[in-house]
Amino acid sequence: MTPDTLFQLSGPAVMAGWLALVLAPLMPRIADGVAALLIPLLLSTAYTALILVHWSSAPGGFGSLADVMALFTHPSIALAGWLHYLAFDLFVGAWIVRAARREGINHVLVLPCLVLTFLFGPAGFLAFSGLRAIRLTETSSAAAAR
Amino acid sequence: MSAVVETSTGHRPSPLMRLPDLGRMWRDAPLFTRLALFLLMALIPLYAAMALDGRTFDGESPWLKPVKFHYALSIYLISLAFFARYLPPAMRGHRLWGMFSVIVCLAVIGEVLWLSAAAMQNTASHFNTTEPLFVRLYPVMGVLAVTLTLPSLIMGIAIGRNKDSGLEPALRVAIALGLGLTFFSTVVVAGYLSSGTGHAVGVSTRDLWLLGWSRDAGDLRVAHFFATHALHGVPLAGVVAAALLPARFAMVAVVVASLAYAALVGGTFMQALNGQPFLPWLG
Repeated sequence: MTPDTLFQLSGPAVMAGWLALVLAPLMPRIADGVAALLIPLLLSTAYTALILVHWSSAPGGFGSLADVMALFTHPSIALAGWLHYLAFDLFVGAWIVRAARREGINHVLVLPCLVLTFLFGPAGFLAFSGLRAIRLTETSSAAAAR
Repeated sequence: MSAVVETSTGHRPSPLMRLPDLGRMWRDAPLFTRLALFLLMALIPLYAAMALDGRTFDGESPWLKPVKFHYALSIYLISLAFFARYLPPAMRGHRLWGMFSVIVCLAVIGEVLWLSAAAMQNTASHFNTTEPLFVRLYPVMGVLAVTLTLPSLIMGIAIGRNKDSGLEPALRVAIALGLGLTFFSTVVVAGYLSSGTGHAVGVSTRDLWLLGWSRDAGDLRVAHFFATHALHGVPLAGVVAAALLPARFAMVAVVVASLAYAALVGGTFMQALNGQPFLPWLG
């Protein structure tokens, strides 16, 4: 299987996970299973296999920015890096949905955070953390007022 | 979960008639059981790597060898975990046995990491004479291999001496002899095998399906296979003997079966040393 084929397969797979998260209020258990477990595990398996096969022939390393850039000139390692993003962004998205459910945060507020996490992973995590921080001060000040 | 408590005395039905409680393995040998399952789960990324890897080593995927060892070591550990029920309970609960189990598991993990590291680099694990790191690792791996074979001997002795195992004497002796034979014959055969330059004696051009044994040259792995599977073959003979024969004859049959099994290992070893394939008409 070429890196390009695997890349093309990874897109629809991860989209299924994000779709499940968007629809999470309708099917919480399925969303958790698909987005927090099934798809990340599939991506992690592909990632692990790519690293096992290609790591020894990859240039560069982790030592400097130039090394990291060299690492990503290797197509299969770049694909592995991409799958890493896809897997962990989806996993964080699934965590956001669970945390929001646990803390009673409205799903409508969660959706923009999911979009951000999908496109720019850490930015979405930052946005959701901000949302939680606001809710925390809100509830504690409400408790103080009582 | 069955609530049946095994008693050390009392009449038992034929061993062929009762099925063993497999759930006991979690309690009798928690480390061996867990590591065996972990090795099997690790087959998923290994097979994925095999599917993605376009490289070949000696004409085969470099991942074939780690895959085979994951199966083999998993079967070995699960077999030890099964036999652990016949150890004296005091030994199973002893701190020294626990520490020894940890060491055995670390040796197994060391072996499989070494095999996959070699596959990653598409180089030889055993018999590596070119990569300095792997050349230096090889003797260490020999020590690990003996370490992970050692519990079969220790368990064989302990089970052989355990009069309260609840086993019919012939079956108990068969398990003890099988485990002991696994240790001694594996150390001899695999020790010889690993100290040479490869598993083939002569030039091999065809392999047996699945097992990969040469069809037209001697292959030392045949004797290694039978040596290590003594812990299955001899106890199986014990199960049959205990079920079909009166106690005294069953014991004689078990001893004869052990000797025959040892002869099988010795015979296949000699055959390979003479450069002859094992049952060349097979596949």
